[in-house]
Amino acid sequence: MKMVAAAKMRRAQERMEEARPYEKRLTDLINNLLPDVDRDLLDLLDVREINRVGYVVVTSDRGMAGSFNTNVLKVAQNEIDAIGKEKVDVFCIGKKARDHFKRRDYNIIENHLDFWNDLNFGDAIQIGAGVISHFTNHHVDEIHVVYNEFVNVATQYVESEVLLPLVFEDAEKQTVGKLYEPNKDDIIKSLIPRHLNVQMWKYLLESYASEQAARMLAMENATENAQEMIKDLTLEFNKARQAAITTEMLEIVSGAEALQSE
Amino acid sequence: MNSFKLEIVTPTKIQDEGQVEHIRCPGLDGYFGVMANHREAIIGLGVGEIKVTQNGKDHFLATSGGFAEITKEKVGLLLETYEQAEEIDAARAEAALKRAQERKDAKDVDVTRKDISLLRAANRLKVSKR
Repeated sequence: MKMVAAAKMRRAQERMEEARPYEKRLTDLINNLLPDVDRDLLDLLDVREINRVGYVVVTSDRGMAGSFNTNVLKVAQNEIDAIGKEKVDVFCIGKKARDHFKRRDYNIIENHLDFWNDLNFGDAIQIGAGVISHFTNHHVDEIHVVYNEFVNVATQYVESEVLLPLVFEDAEKQTVGKLYEPNKDDIIKSLIPRHLNVQMWKYLLESYASEQAARMLAMENATENAQEMIKDLTLEFNKARQAAITTEMLEIVSGAEALQSE
Repeated sequence: MNSFKLEIVTPTKIQDEGQVEHIRCPGLDGYFGVMANHREAIIGLGVGEIKVTQNGKDHFLATSGGFAEITKEKVGLLLETYEQAEEIDAARAEAALKRAQERKDAKDVDVTRKDISLLRAANRLKVSKR
């Protein structure tokens, strides 16, 4: 199982690398266009007074990954409780989040389960669409994401980030004679949801890689513990065996002596 | 015929298509063609088919939309998803189209999502027959 997790982790890392060029080019495009566009047109950048908050909690479907799920659920629950659970809508990614928040009777809007084994970009789009419409329909005024960030095999951090409203730094105004079709406003309007999808995709991949790394470590620890236990038990067994032999021999010897003295 | 470099970038891979002579893309306002030495441009793409002409031969891709980034050196297509015509399973595409049509009458899904899935399904089917 450790080897399986290791292989899956490597694949997830590769996919993270593969997503980077697309993400970078989208971000560059947005940064180039934003200075020329009226931000009020873009409802995903809309900063509102915060009454209700949405939380996207990214966990796995399966356990056996050490504290991977516990950590992320703990952080999410603490943050939600700090706001007040009646003011928070939860999007559960992975069975572990669903089980946790359902049992505690939180306000769950959507569950996304059973897709990790066959993770593809369509999942990110689907999750993104639900989150976007919840935000643009003014059900919530801010969306947070809590997930495990993959640092390296040994380290994963639980990150809590604000996903919506999107924040972009002010870029310098570009004055290149480029042609924009149909126009800058429409381009940026379709750019931004796509940017969000790729952001979602990144969260999923980070979490997936972290899950596999955590599982790898957990399985390695389990193997080590089992070996230790085997060592202890073998010693215990040998001691018991020796003790049994000694008693048996003592019985025979004392029996023989008893016979002789008769 | 003059050629230019075409690159297709998606969230899951970068596909270097090499030198091509002509592409036709589904712009948000209708189809447009790009040949070598096109003016620098950023063009939004909708759901539709992309025709790529390479060494005098055409091949087709189905896409769900994205952007064309045209620079002096090359043309980059930033697409969320695309499929080669040969890769599309026509039977599955047909089933998806049927599902989308049935869903169109249902009231619970929001309208734009429904229309887009219908559009996509129809487009995939069309491209698969190329």
